[in-house]
Amino acid sequence: MFTAKIFNKWIRYIIFSLPLLFFNTIILWADEKIEVFPSTPYDKFIIYQVLIIFWLGIIGLIVILKMKLKEIERIQSMGIDKEEKDIPFLD
Amino acid sequence: MSYRRLKNWFDERYDFEEIRSLTKQKVVPVHKYGILYYTGGLTLFLFILQFITGMVLAFYYVPYHEQAHKSIIEIVTKLNMGWFFRSLHHWGAQIAILALFIHVFGTLLVKAYRKPREIIWVTGFILLVISIFFGLSGYFLLWDERAFAAVRVATGGAGNLPLIGGFIKSFLRGGIDVTGETLTRFYAFHVCVLPLFTIFFIGLHGLLVQYHGMSVPISLEKDIKKYEPFFPNVLYKDFIIWLIALGLVVTISVLFPPEIGKKADPLAAPPENIKPEWYFLFLFQTLKLFPGDIMGLNGEMIAIILISLGILFFLLIPFLDRKSSRGEKSTLFTWIGILYTAYFIIMTIIGFLT
Repeated sequence: MFTAKIFNKWIRYIIFSLPLLFFNTIILWADEKIEVFPSTPYDKFIIYQVLIIFWLGIIGLIVILKMKLKEIERIQSMGIDKEEKDIPFLD
Repeated sequence: MSYRRLKNWFDERYDFEEIRSLTKQKVVPVHKYGILYYTGGLTLFLFILQFITGMVLAFYYVPYHEQAHKSIIEIVTKLNMGWFFRSLHHWGAQIAILALFIHVFGTLLVKAYRKPREIIWVTGFILLVISIFFGLSGYFLLWDERAFAAVRVATGGAGNLPLIGGFIKSFLRGGIDVTGETLTRFYAFHVCVLPLFTIFFIGLHGLLVQYHGMSVPISLEKDIKKYEPFFPNVLYKDFIIWLIALGLVVTISVLFPPEIGKKADPLAAPPENIKPEWYFLFLFQTLKLFPGDIMGLNGEMIAIILISLGILFFLLIPFLDRKSSRGEKSTLFTWIGILYTAYFIIMTIIGFLT
């Protein structure tokens, strides 16, 4: 009787754990997810670092362009950029 | 060799003075809708970016159905920075088409299509169609389930056009159904045929814009008091916008690289809840509005005919809007422009959310 109880208990454990085993192993047949981004921490660090440097470069270029634009507009507002038609030439 | 000597060498052989005087003459009117003048240049810049990243990918992509998907996996996993160029090409395409739609709808709403710029509108419309086909053909080159199903639906839909539908369908597919032949054909479209047409039409479009000058909205024509020179003022502003766009495209490409889907299986059923790319969603949603059978006729065919008529009307707007051609306010065509823009946005959002 006692042996039958233990045997029944173990049978129940085996029967209930079979689906778990099945679902865990079925993942092995699933398609592998393809890594589209470098996975090592070092590569990720380098990529984000380069991205920050890239943005610093972009911002730097924008600042330079804005400064040049401001200078050009200042010159244009003074009217000194226009060529005078009858300006005498030195021979 | 100094800069001065090099400059003199060219000046002795080519007359650059005329080009210099032409560039100094080009001016851009300053008004509250002036931001729209930058959308065309931005679209051009993004397409140049696509050409460059596309050329890089073309060195490694194999346009044969057995190896296409595998070659993409190798580009992404084995090639140094391959994942980045693929991501840049993917996101560059999305943002280029977005910029293109903003440019098209902006032009429509301010009526920049009116006399004498009708041919600019027509060349622009052709470029829009070419760009959409660029997106479709490029998307198919992934040879994944989603792309396969999308091309099957798109070419099947084109096949529902009366009279010419059958020819268009078999021309695009390279046969009766979507197969490896279709992939080779779409690759030829994507890297050869469409780029040639694009260069021709962009050249014509740009030349006509230089010839006619910048359009001004009818309501502001009499109020324009200030003009700024294109060289160097507007060009520098163009460069600033291009730099910001480049920064955004690169950032999105790094942070959100696109996944690689499951390899296409021509014999398998299409995946459930499949949706096309966002710029086709408004068409996809429009098709869903029509039932399969309308008074005994094929509902899909009726839908495609109506959509085609809507697109044809869109092309012919400059020739139909007579009031704008005379320089008068045209409320009807303003509302038509708003309707087209709103329909596109709303149906795209609905398609995205459902």
